[in-house]
Amino acid sequence: MKTGKEFIKTIFFVELIKGMAFTLKTLLFTPPVTRRYPNKVKVPAQPGFRGLHALAKNEEGKMKCVGCGLCGAYCPSKCIYIYTSEGEDHTKVVDRYEIETPRCIYCGFCVEACPFGAITLSEHYEYSTYSRDSLYMTKDKLLENWDKYFAGEKGKRYFRDFWRPKTTDFKGYEGQAMFKGNKNEK
Amino acid sequence: MITISINGKEIRLEKPMTVLEAARSAGIKIPTLCWHEQLEKYGGCRLCLVEVEKMPRLQTACTLMVADGMVIRTETGRIADVRRGILEFLLINHPLDCPYCDKAGECDLQDLVEKYGPVTGRFKEKKRKVPESLEDPVIVRNMERCIVCTRCVRMCEGVQGASAIAVIDRGGHSHIEPFSGGRFDCEYCGNCVSVCPVGAIMSKLHRHSYRPWQLVDEVETICPYCGVGCTLVVQVRDDVIKRVVPKLGTVVNNGLLCSRGRFGYEFVGSKERLTKPLIRIASKTHDASRVTHNEIFREATWEEAISFVAKKLEEIKDKYGSDSIAGIASPRCTNEDNYIFQKFMRTAIGTNNIDSTARTGFAGAQNFIENIFGQGATANIIPGLSNSDSVLVIGGDPTAINPILGLQIRACSRKGGNILTIGKVKGLRFFNPVSLKPVLYTETVLLEGIVTALRERIGLPGSNPNLEAGIKDINISDGEIEKTCGIKGNDFTMFMKILSESSTPSIVIGKELVQSNSGNYKLLLIAAINYLINGRIYLLSERANEQGLLDMGCAPDLLPGYRPLTFAEFRRKYENSWKTSIPDKVGFSIFEMMDAAKEGSLKALYVMGENPVFNLPDARSVEAAMKNIDFLVVQDIFLTETARLADVVFPALSWSEKDGTFTNMERRIQRLRKAVHREGMEDWRIISEVSKHMGVPLNYSNPEDIFNEVSKVSPLHRDMTYEDIEKGEAVYPYKGEPLRGVSEEIKFQVPSSKFQVSDKKLYLKLERPLFHSGTLSTKAPALVNIYPEAMARISPDTAKSLSLGDGDIVRVSTKIGSLELPVSVDKELDNSSVLLSNNFEGKGAFSLMEYTLDSVTKAPCIDYNEARIEKVNI
Repeated sequence: MKTGKEFIKTIFFVELIKGMAFTLKTLLFTPPVTRRYPNKVKVPAQPGFRGLHALAKNEEGKMKCVGCGLCGAYCPSKCIYIYTSEGEDHTKVVDRYEIETPRCIYCGFCVEACPFGAITLSEHYEYSTYSRDSLYMTKDKLLENWDKYFAGEKGKRYFRDFWRPKTTDFKGYEGQAMFKGNKNEK
Repeated sequence: MITISINGKEIRLEKPMTVLEAARSAGIKIPTLCWHEQLEKYGGCRLCLVEVEKMPRLQTACTLMVADGMVIRTETGRIADVRRGILEFLLINHPLDCPYCDKAGECDLQDLVEKYGPVTGRFKEKKRKVPESLEDPVIVRNMERCIVCTRCVRMCEGVQGASAIAVIDRGGHSHIEPFSGGRFDCEYCGNCVSVCPVGAIMSKLHRHSYRPWQLVDEVETICPYCGVGCTLVVQVRDDVIKRVVPKLGTVVNNGLLCSRGRFGYEFVGSKERLTKPLIRIASKTHDASRVTHNEIFREATWEEAISFVAKKLEEIKDKYGSDSIAGIASPRCTNEDNYIFQKFMRTAIGTNNIDSTARTGFAGAQNFIENIFGQGATANIIPGLSNSDSVLVIGGDPTAINPILGLQIRACSRKGGNILTIGKVKGLRFFNPVSLKPVLYTETVLLEGIVTALRERIGLPGSNPNLEAGIKDINISDGEIEKTCGIKGNDFTMFMKILSESSTPSIVIGKELVQSNSGNYKLLLIAAINYLINGRIYLLSERANEQGLLDMGCAPDLLPGYRPLTFAEFRRKYENSWKTSIPDKVGFSIFEMMDAAKEGSLKALYVMGENPVFNLPDARSVEAAMKNIDFLVVQDIFLTETARLADVVFPALSWSEKDGTFTNMERRIQRLRKAVHREGMEDWRIISEVSKHMGVPLNYSNPEDIFNEVSKVSPLHRDMTYEDIEKGEAVYPYKGEPLRGVSEEIKFQVPSSKFQVSDKKLYLKLERPLFHSGTLSTKAPALVNIYPEAMARISPDTAKSLSLGDGDIVRVSTKIGSLELPVSVDKELDNSSVLLSNNFEGKGAFSLMEYTLDSVTKAPCIDYNEARIEKVNI
């Protein structure tokens, strides 16, 4: 049984009017929380953001990757495909290094696993397109990405600040062995 | 009962063993590097050190025998410290190039260092630098990575018996090197590759193109090469076979492989493989070898080719009768393929003209021996050979023809058994064989002498009167043997002493004996020897499914399950289950087919996976016969010599692309599994399509269907299913009827006249090389790299008299032809022989060999082929 007061409130839509008044107040007097991307506002990614992949080059401009396949082994979504073969001088040659970016979850495990700092995640994240093919990153595209997003100081800074590979700075459990850099050093 | 405690767990053991074995049996893992279950104990790596109470120092678990009441701890702080120390020492020289090394991921050292290893090394000096040895065609040696566990050396010496590699130098410089220098020049079994715990000895095939964890598709299948039927694990990445490895614990080969099995798989992905059905456009008078196949054939669709074949076969059948059509089955195809093939020939075509190259020795010899001892006499378990106390080898080198069987003979010698050989057996020469080397082509006299001597020593047991009737008149004295065969009395007495005193002897018979003049008589003598010494017979088989092919009834006189066609009762049984009539006339054997083709009475021939133009003796006349056939259908994976002459060629799926079963020489039925996907049809599917177009539907959806039918109709395979086969216990007769008994009388022919052999003449003999088998292996680049081309092998004396050296080109000519070949001088050869293999296209020994057919076994006799050699000056 409703009381008389509640009955009047129902007849005159008091609660509805209260709600509408709040909506009107928010609409007219509060600034919007959303930002108008991409037309008006563009926020640069913070350093260390995990965006589009790139294959690093060394000082000579050659690909650092040796095709050990650890990135592909660690990848939780198994989106890295590496095909190697024996080169003319019997060394290991990376024929294909491909990343299916739509499947990538940007966890960065590949970067962590790489003993040579060859695979990197750039701060670039705006690469949505209309075709799936262009999202399939081949070796050439990935090397191009390096030139685009890690040219010059930026690449060095990236390795200084964000690359913590297990080979140089790995704090595993006690007694853990590790690979110490290039075999030709010393 | 011995009771010990490992890590607080009480273990009761029935028999004494090492601590390591005891721990493994209880599921406790002790790390090892030098220990391997196939090899002798070494105790070199010291990683298996364990703490034993009341022993002051740590003990190596792999060499310490358990004693009652032992209290052992395998993982303590003290042990971990020691292991870390050992690994630190091992890493002093190890390059740690895991990202480049193909072993990374399955490397024992990597795993151990990851578990126990030091964080850093304290060794500041430079690492040992040794360049990788890439000289060898199939094996890469990287001695920087070597930890000198000597597993490979012990494998090579103690199991394989090749003794090709050793530890060279001392201390920190020790490394493994073949005696022959950079190149291995050994048996190329590759077993050193499979035992190497690190990446020091690796296969060159598909090098750097995979990492172990990328080989996700792993299929257990059976080797396509010889009749031993080794289990292989085929590892595949993206439909390319990356490597073939053995598996420990399999019944037949137990972790061992030979060169063909391990390195001969690359024919599967060969670019020369046929992809589309081909129909002939050129006339048959063309010299097929001179033109490319585009000029002879045009590509056709499956539908077109199949209906064309069906139409032509119908036409010929209507016009000339069913018996003008014949079929050749293949010992390389599965049981299912062969069953469908003979069913097609017997029902759709209506003829018993079915045969195979098993006729060139295996089928006849087996039949002959089974007539004496009963069915299954030649099917003995291969690993049982090593438990014999003597093995008599005759008629070929088992270590080359059936290498894994050969290893069992070597193992027998190592266990203290005696090896007896008649003639030179190259692969057993380091295993103290007692060899009788009779003068060329006098084996018959020697065998008669052995029978005589055995009869005198042992006496006739009387249990097989038929056989005894055949041998009772043989009488050859020791003096006669010495005179005819040139064997000294002492040698013969010693040989006879060993043979007659052995209690569990085995006899290994090679094809050379079967394919010689009066082969049936020699087989009778061997059977008599076997009967007198109460031994077991092993009949070497050169092709993977020779046995299964015969079981499936691909013979002119046998129905599936070895049931003789001439018995109306058996025929009726099959007629009832196939719901059709079976002709009662015994069909043509493969040689009769060739004769009929020459005459022109054979109008059509269907060849499934075989290459008779190359694999039958007197190959040139076979080729002429084939050209005379109106309609030739060939189903093969390559465009072989026979396929070039065909009217229609169907591309088939090869080994590892199809499912099925193989039956090995010990009659073990084993599963062949599909590892690689390829567009196309299996052999049985092509045949059933043709059959369907001819109005006789053979409806099967998969090989298992076919096998289920086989297990219904064949008494040998009764109630056998794929599940039983997978358990590995399918050695038939499975649950079937008792096997065929012995026949009433033994047919044989005593050689009437003795051939005169001149010392000065050279005789052409067939070489059966270890690295090749048929023409299939010549499509595998690795095997071709090891054994690159056909070579005429001659003895040093022959070479000297003709002033020839290795690599000189000679013309080898016989009555029917000549070939120009490089020469190779072989120390092991006698002065009257020229050896030539029958593997390389256009350079086959069979093109120079005339033959006569043995009257009983119907095998071709290819001895007494006189040859001349002359130097060709270029």
